[in-house]
Formats: sequence, structure tokens, C-alpha cells
Amino acid sequence: MLNNRKAIEVYGLNFQYPDTKESALKDINFSVDYGEILGIIGPTGAGKSTLAMCINGLVPQVIQGDLVGEVFVKGMDVNEGNVAKMSEHVGFVFQEPENQLSQMTVEEEVAFGIGNLGVPREQMEGRIKDALKQVGLTGFEKRSPLALSGGQQQRLAIASVLAMNPTILIMDEPTSMLDPKGKNEVYDVLKSLKERGMTGIIIDHEVERIAEYCDKVLVLSEGQIQMFGPPNEVFSKIEHLHQLTMHAPQVTECLHQFNEQFNKDVKLSTNVEESARFLENAYKSI
Amino acid sequence: MNSLYMPKDSFIHNLDPRTKMIFVAFVVLSSFILNDPALQLLFLASLFPLVVAAKLVKPYLISMQFLLLFAVLIMTVHGIYNPIGVTPVFEIFGGLTFKYESMVYASVMSFRILVIGTAAVLFVMSTHPSDMASALVKWKVPHSFAFILLSTFQIIPIIAREAKIVMEAQQARCLDVKGSLIQRVKNLIPIFAPLFIITFMKVHQLSYVLECRAFSREGTKTSLRDTKIGSKDYAFLLGIVVFLTFEIYLQIFLSGSFNLTTNGLLTYSLIGTWAVFALMIAKFVIKRVQGFVGGMADA
Ligand SMILES: Nc1ncnc2c1ncn2[C@@H]1O[C@H](COP(=O)(O)OP(=O)(O)O)[C@@H](O)[C@H]1O
Ligand SMILES: [Mg+2]
Repeated sequence: MLNNRKAIEVYGLNFQYPDTKESALKDINFSVDYGEILGIIGPTGAGKSTLAMCINGLVPQVIQGDLVGEVFVKGMDVNEGNVAKMSEHVGFVFQEPENQLSQMTVEEEVAFGIGNLGVPREQMEGRIKDALKQVGLTGFEKRSPLALSGGQQQRLAIASVLAMNPTILIMDEPTSMLDPKGKNEVYDVLKSLKERGMTGIIIDHEVERIAEYCDKVLVLSEGQIQMFGPPNEVFSKIEHLHQLTMHAPQVTECLHQFNEQFNKDVKLSTNVEESARFLENAYKSI
Repeated sequence: MNSLYMPKDSFIHNLDPRTKMIFVAFVVLSSFILNDPALQLLFLASLFPLVVAAKLVKPYLISMQFLLLFAVLIMTVHGIYNPIGVTPVFEIFGGLTFKYESMVYASVMSFRILVIGTAAVLFVMSTHPSDMASALVKWKVPHSFAFILLSTFQIIPIIAREAKIVMEAQQARCLDVKGSLIQRVKNLIPIFAPLFIITFMKVHQLSYVLECRAFSREGTKTSLRDTKIGSKDYAFLLGIVVFLTFEIYLQIFLSGSFNLTTNGLLTYSLIGTWAVFALMIAKFVIKRVQGFVGGMADA
């Protein structure tokens, strides 16, 4: 049964927070395959975080409201279990690095989650070491989490989640509090996770990165799915994005402006090399 | 850095946190059993070797300075004004007389503060907060309570930094933080209201994070740090029991048969606290003057 199910399946999902007039999520349907990275983009207040939290059950189990529809993770109904049980399958990384840290040292921070799962102490050391290695924090074991940079803290938060061996990793704007260096660090981790075949969902405003790292992109606005597909396809519908007060990666925007200015019809792309090629050919013919 | 814990390799540091908690309880109990300034002073002196053993002499003395402020205040004010005093001991200028009974009362009170303070400092500085939390869990204290205790240690420096940010932000909005005392007290509201909200939001968010790290999962939990009660701990506990028996014996059978609390002892301890206090003030003033002169030189 597990074999023909996808990693994440969402059917007819509607969600409304208490004391609000409008639903935060309206009729959401999509699925993510094993090993795929899904990027979710959309304006602030679109419901991106709410959607992400539906996938590990934080919404509606901890953050309450009216939920209609079904969410399956690895074929399991998320709302039949609880968030704690789901945490073995779905790791969740939040936006604010510092609010995710509660222990005195880096190694204890990583040990906290696996300790809650009841992993014996003999196995802990190895799992901590592996997790810290994956995010490039080897050697920081005895440091205080508060004495790390934002990028390091966010990577520590990722390591703490990875140590719990989840199949799926969800990151909700993991880099929006970070400086460019911190952003690069976090995306490098994401890249290496992708290479290891991790399934993931990432919410971010940086469309260039989304276009580069994600297999699928989901555009959300006012609680509704506006577009869903491979990055090239989504970012080609550039006028639709503009209507939603969003933009495509800079290369795509550049091609689009070229088309507008010279009244051309160059094919839009998110890839720099491809774009350069398209543009060169088109420019010669002006 | 983010707690009062001072990592050192010492006999005291290696004791189980539970042993040390029992020790603190023992010291508190003793400070009430030994209801006599001379005995308490002796007790205080006998605790000092433990501070030395824990290699914490310097930080201990620094933190004791603050408790000494209380001692000076209590001994001076109570010594003169406490109405239980009848027998004059000595007089200072202006006809203010220190009386024997009130001095005994004040000394007992301030030595008790110092004794308990010593034990508390010893405990906090020699015990890793995480070890304390895991030791509590072994005493069947609920996991969530131990966590609250631990995360409190963690959140204090965060709040302190947030407070600084709020303060600077409000100053930038022309909040006068250097005005008169009343003004300053009034100004606490625009600082504490946002600080409270920020802290509340942080804790709220942390609760989601904990949920995602399986904190509320039922079943056994494990932890990275382990604490074990070993032979050292039993030896230490035995010492405590012996000491306690001796104290009780002293108090029940020997009280009244000898009296160490003489006028001289009371007077010297009073003058002693004054002297240390004066030294502290002198040090403070010198630092200020140096800073001032330094500032002038810079300009
Ligand atoms: N706890 C809550 N209670 C009520 N409304 C909320 C709550 N959290 C979010 N919302 C509302 O739900 C909508 C979607 O929010 P959110 O999922 O946080 O959006 P995004 O992450 O895309 O910025 C917003 O209109 C927001 O105001
Ligand atoms: Mg959000």
C-alpha cells in the first residue's frame, strides 16, 4: 500500500482560524513525491505557514481551528496521530533561529529531540555527530547555542530535526532572518540534503533560490493555489505573478522586460545560461 | 556565559546534583538550628574550605559582596534601633548605642544570610543546569517542570539582550531614561510592556518547536548527560549526617553551658563588616575617579 502512495498528499484542504471571517486555506490539493523538493511562494498572509503546519499536524492539533479535508504523510493520516508522533517522519524548521533553541549546549540541543524519542544514550553520540556533520557544525558540540551566528543557529535547528531521522523536512522561511552569508549556509545544507534524497518543503521569498533548488513550485495567494508545477513553467507565467504582487527570478524578469521593450517573444527561462543564449540570439535579430 | 555555572574540575563539581541539593537543604536547616552568632560564624568558616575545594574563591567573594551589603544594613540598623535591646555595648557619635540583645538578633540574621548565600553560590556555580534538570527527573520530578527550570536559565540572557534593544529603541523615541527617580520609575512601563510581549511571543513559539521535537510524546525519555550517585556522594552525605548530629547535640546538651558570644565578638564582627563595606566603597570610588580622569585624558 505504501508503495503507490506519495510522500505527502493533500486533498480538499480547507482551514479557518477561530474568530476570522475568511478561510486561511481554500480547497488545497497537491502531492509531493519521495525525493522531491517543493517550494511554496506567495505574498505575506497567503497562508504558506498555515499550509506547512497542516502537514505535520501542528494545525489544527496545537494551533486550533476548523479543518476540512485530508492530509496524508507516507500514507498515514496526519490527524489520526499527533504532532509528537509525526515528528519522527516530518521535521519542521521555523523562521526565527533563536526561538528554536532551548538547551545549554549545541550537543544537548541536538540530543533533546532524540531524547524525547527515547533513543538510548549509547546511540545518541553517533546520531549527534552525524547530524552536526550534515550541517557543517562539527566541533561546535560544547558551545552555547546563543553564542552562534544566525546562520549557525539555523543550521543547528536543522541538525536537531535531522537527528530525529525524518523522511520529510519542512522549512518555513528559514533564511528570512539571516544575512546573505547565513542564507548561503542554509541553502548549502538544503542542497546536500537534496542530494541524499530527502523530501522537502521550503517556503521562501527568494525566487532565485526556489527556482534553483526546487523540483516543483506552488504559488499560494489568499489561501488558494494559483499555480503548481515545475519552476520553469510557473515562473514563465510572469504576468500572473505580477498580478499577485510577486516576481520571477531576475533572469526571467530580464527576459520579460526585453520582450516588452523590443516587442519580442523570447521563451522565458529561470536558468542563467539558457537565458543568456536566448537573449543573445534574440538580440542579434533586432 | 549564559548561566552562573563555572566549569571547573573539582571534587564539588563532580558530586551528583542531588547530593548538592541535599547539602543546600542541610545548610539552611543548620542555619536555623545554630541559633547563635558565634556558632554560625564558625559554621560559615567551616564552609569556606568547600569553596576552596570547588576552586571558586574569587567568584564566591565577588558574589558575597552583595550579600554583605545586606549584612551591614541589618547589623547597623537593628543593632541600634531594634527595641529588644537593653544592655548597651558601645556608643558611637550622637548618642547612638548598640545593644547586646539587638546585636545578637541582627548578627544571627545576617550570618544566616551569608551562610545560606554561601551554599547557594556553591551549588549554582558548581552545577551544570542540565545536570540539575536530569537529576530532578531522577527524583521523579515531572519532565516538563525540569524543562521549565532549565529553559529559564536559557531565556534570562535572551531577555537581558531584548531589554537592551527595547531600551535603546525607546530612547530613540525620546524616552528619558536618565531623568529623576520618579521619571525613571514611570519609564519602566514603556520598557517592560514590550519586553513582556516579546518574551511571551518567544515562549509561545518555543512551545510549537517543542511539539515538533516530540516533547509531549509519551513513554520513556533519555538524555545525553547522565548523573550518578557514587561513593563520593555517599561519603559527602555521611559527613553531612555527622555534622548535623553534632549540631543537634551541641544545641540540646551544651547550649547555656558555655557562651562564645561575647561583646567583643559582636563588636568585631560589626566593625569587620563595616571595614569590608568601606573597602568596597573605596574601590568603587577609585574606579569612578579613574574612569573620570581617563575620560578627561581622552578628551
Ligand atoms: N493564530 C492565528 N489566528 C488567526 N489568524 C491567523 C493566525 N495565524 C495566521 N492567521 C491568518 O491566516 C492567514 C495566513 O497566515 P500565514 O499562514 O501565517 O501566512 P504566510 O505564512 O503566508 O505569511 C493570514 O491572514 C493571517 O492573518
Ligand atoms: Mg509565514
